[in-house]
This record gives sequence, C-alpha cells and structure tokens, in this order.
Amino acid sequence: MNAAAEAMQRRHGDSLWNKAWRKFRHDRVGVVALLVVCAYAIVALGVVLGWWATGWADISGPKWAPLSSEHWLGTNIIGQDIFSRAVYSTRTAFEVGLIVALGATFIGAVLGAIAGFFSATWIDEAVIWLMGVLDSVPFILLVAAIAYSLQDSPWAMHIAMIATFWIGTARLVRGEVIKLKGQEFVESAHAIGLGRMTIIFRHILPNTFHVLLVQATLSFVAAIKSEVILSFLGLGVKDGMSWGLMISESTFEVLAGYFNNFIAASVLMFGLVMAFNMFSDALQDALDPRTVK
Amino acid sequence: MEVLLYSLRKLLAGIPLVLGVTLISFLLIVYFGPDKTYELVGKNPTAEQIAEVRSQLGYDRPFVTRYMEYLREIVTLDFGSSESTDEKVSSILARTIPVSLLLALPGFILGNALGVLLALVAAYFRGGLVDKLIMGSAAVGMSVSYLIAIIGFQILLSSADGLDLFPVRGWDTSTPLAYIQHVTVPTLATVFVALGYNTRFYRAVIVEEMTRDHVRTARAFGIPPAKIFYRNILKNSMVPIVTRVVFSIPLIVISGSLLLESYFGIPGIGKVSYDAIITGDQPVLKAVVALTAILFVVAQLLTDICYRLVDPRVSLGASTR
Repeated sequence: MNAAAEAMQRRHGDSLWNKAWRKFRHDRVGVVALLVVCAYAIVALGVVLGWWATGWADISGPKWAPLSSEHWLGTNIIGQDIFSRAVYSTRTAFEVGLIVALGATFIGAVLGAIAGFFSATWIDEAVIWLMGVLDSVPFILLVAAIAYSLQDSPWAMHIAMIATFWIGTARLVRGEVIKLKGQEFVESAHAIGLGRMTIIFRHILPNTFHVLLVQATLSFVAAIKSEVILSFLGLGVKDGMSWGLMISESTFEVLAGYFNNFIAASVLMFGLVMAFNMFSDALQDALDPRTVK
Repeated sequence: MEVLLYSLRKLLAGIPLVLGVTLISFLLIVYFGPDKTYELVGKNPTAEQIAEVRSQLGYDRPFVTRYMEYLREIVTLDFGSSESTDEKVSSILARTIPVSLLLALPGFILGNALGVLLALVAAYFRGGLVDKLIMGSAAVGMSVSYLIAIIGFQILLSSADGLDLFPVRGWDTSTPLAYIQHVTVPTLATVFVALGYNTRFYRAVIVEEMTRDHVRTARAFGIPPAKIFYRNILKNSMVPIVTRVVFSIPLIVISGSLLLESYFGIPGIGKVSYDAIITGDQPVLKAVVALTAILFVVAQLLTDICYRLVDPRVSLGASTR
C-alpha cells in the first residue's frame, strides 16, 4: 500500500486489516479453526524435519494387525503402520495445498490485474478468452490430458490444478482492479509519471491482497480434496504417501471388513478440510467491509 | 427477430471459445502426446521405416494441417477406432452416454431440488436455530471428500458389515427394480456431496434477494409474506439458480461420472474415459475431451440466450450501444 493511503488510514486508526483482525478475534469458530490448521501445519513440519513418521514405508508388523501400543492404528494389508502413514500424508497434503495455492494465486493475481488494468482492450479480451477456454475443459479430463502429454510426470497434478484454480482468483482480482484503477491514488501515480507496470504491481495489486488471501485458502482446500480423487484414479501423487493413496488402498480392505486405513485417512483429511473451510469463512467475513461487528 | 440476431451474435462469440478448447485438447493429446512411432515400427527399424511410420501417423506434416485434420474429425464425429478394443469411437459414445445419463440424473435432480428446498428453509429462518443447523450440516458435508462418501455409503448399505441391501458394484437396467438397486448407492453419495455446496450457494442467492429494496417496500405495503416470498423472492432467485443448474450439466455427464463409474464398474462414458486415460487410448481421449468442452461452451451460450428470453433487463448489446 502506498504511504499516503497508509498515513490516512493511520489517522482514522482503522485500516481494513485492523478491523478485520478485530472481527476475526471475536469469531470463536474462526480462531479455533485457525488453531486446528496450525496444529496440522506443525505435524507436517515435523515430518519434513524428520521428527516423526519416518518409518511410514517400513513393513513393521503382520498384515492387518489390530490397534496396539506398537501400531496405534493397526497395520495395512502388507503390514505397514497406518498411524505413521497417516501422519506422513499430512506433509503431502500441505505440500500439494501450498504449491497449488501459491501458484494459482500468483498467476491469478498477475493475469487478473493485467486484464483489469487494460480492461476493454485486446489484452483483457485475451485473458478472458483463456479463462473461458480453460474453464470449459472438465477438470479431471484436463488433469488426464496434461498427465498424458507430460508422460506421467509427478507434477501433472499440480500443473493441472494451478491451470484451473487461478481462474477464479483472476476473475475477482480483475473486478477489483477495474474498481481501483479509477481512484485518486492511481491518478496521482500516473501524474508523477510512474510506469504502468509499477502502478499495477506496486500500487494497485497490494490493495487486492484481501481477495488473494481468501482465494489462496480456497485453492488450498480444493487442492487437498482433488488430490484424494486424483490419487485414487492414479493421476495424483506418484511417489510418497497421501491420504488419497491410503483411501484407494483401503477400497480393497473395507469390503473384507478392515476399516483402519479408511478411517484414519478420512478423519484426518476431514479435520483439516473442515478447519480450513471454517477459517476461510471467518476470514471472508472479517475482511468483508459490509458485515458489521 | 431481435432475439434471433442476439442468438446469432452469441453463437459467433462462441467460436473463439470452441477453437480454444479444441486447440488445448489438440496440443495436449495429439501434438505433445506420446510419440507412437516406436510402438509401430517393430524391432531394428531402418531410418526409412521410421520415416514411413511417422508420415503415416502424420508427424511430418505442419502444425496447422494436423490441427485442421483434428477439427475435421470433430465436425464429422469420426475419431477412428479405440486402440484397445477396436470399436469405433462414435459407437462407444452412443453406447455409453445413455448409461451415464441414467446414472447421473437422479442424483443431479435430487441434489439440486433438495438444495433449493433446504436453502429456502434456511433463508426463511435466517439467523435462527434451524438456519444454523442446516448451514452447519452443509459445512460438514462440504468437507467430506466425494471418494469418502462413496466408500462410506458402500460400507453402510452394500457390505456385509452394514445393512447389505444393495449390490456392491456393477450395473443392470434390465428391470426398473434392478435399476433402482444399482443406482441408489451412487445417487446417495452424489447427493450427499453436492448438497452442502448447493444449499450454501442457493441460500446466499435467496438471502440476497430477500434484502432487496423492493421486498422491503412490498412488506411495508402489507403484502402477505407468503406472496412476497413467492413473487418477489423466489422468482428473482431463479435466474442464478437456473444458471448453476445448466452450467453443471456437462460436468455431471463426464467429471462427476468418472469417479462414480470407475469405482462401481459402471459401463458409462466416465468409465470409458478412465480406461482411456489409464491405457493412453488416444482416439477415445481426444473425442471425450473435445466433445465435453464443446458441450460446455454450447451450454453456456444457451443459458445466455435463455436469459434474453426470460429476463427483459439483459441488454441486447447492439440496440443499446
């Protein structure tokens, strides 16, 4: 945000972010949801640092062992410890979620801002056309097509998700930028002779940050949910472990009456998605200037 | 006449989109797709043999020619034959699309009808306990993965550990009873997953209409609430509701069914696409991707045109500019 606007807001003592933070703090559901997400993040970080779940790939027990102090959630069909696999998968979920959320938000922000700034020119038309085209190809088929042309690269899933998820962000950012570009601070920036790219990325885009934040949380959740389905279909995670792979393993086990794998992955995933959804809702409410505390 | 011109202009506007989606599917599946030369040439091929196969496959022709060839295939619906079963792609489509429709329709209708119903109830009791209960359940439903819902319902209703009422997998439409038996579990899973999103979306639409000025005015005039609800709120909410329904039609035919059909082993278009993805069956893959994308563009255009027919506020473009 530029200095003038900041100074003005300081005088009023009430920036969008101050207000949002106050509103968010009073939203009990939102705060709890954020704490839950943080707990998951710590679990994921621990996996990255090698604190726990290091033996997720070892065959450490008999097939389908019941719950015990050694195997907290039992073992799977070939005797791997379900608890460490579920914990390890938290890392995969965060990896996929973060990569996709950051990538999609970045592309959405850049293209959306450019389209909005040059609205009603051919640049805008081109971005709108691209959004329409990518929107029209069904998601799973786009993943499949990208996986097909990348010859089963492990990144096909990430690329396809980013290629789809940036569109929603870009639409919103474009709308915001169209609203902002007529405002005085943009006119002043033009008047002192700043370049157009400087104006777009230094002065206008930072003012859409609240949209980007909410959109990033939405992409994160969507990525985790899609990963499960894509991994089950064999289009998702290729090496490593994920909740999707665990659930897809469990499809053979549940009909034989062994539910540990299925329940462990489903419950952990449900918890994270639910918490993230509620956090995202609370964030949206807090950042929406129309809602009054 | 005006409407006809509008429709024509809309159709023209759809052409770049159709070209775009065909270009994407061409690039991904045909142009950058796997090189099939070495599957066909056999052992120890000479340079001439390789060149011959490459020209048979069309790899030596320029980009534009190959793209035009692809467009011709789409227009004539002649995609050749499946690489794994040798059945003609057009006959595969004709055989499998009805199956997918029969599978997807009950869940689609129920999911949207129940969604609107619950949204109306929630919006009517806005802020109250009923509203909180419905929206809370919607938030929970939204957090459950489709795959988990499918497996969950399967355990509950079809396995020996549950109620064991329905067949575990498969498809049979020979009698109405068999159809109902096979369609119930997939439908329940679909409805369960869609209901949260639908209810939330429809509630937001209805609440938005409820807070408009004309509703407040009508209330001030003492018009009975039931009448306001029907005339001022429900009717105005129909536009976004119908849009959402129309837009999801092409998606349920393919994307929604892909998971359901491959999980339950139902021989619909989703299962065929899934098999084509796994085996890399290029003719089927390019047909499915191109046709669904085109279907989607057409659905969008039709919605626009329908709006024009029902909503006089939508501008005609040329006449106002």
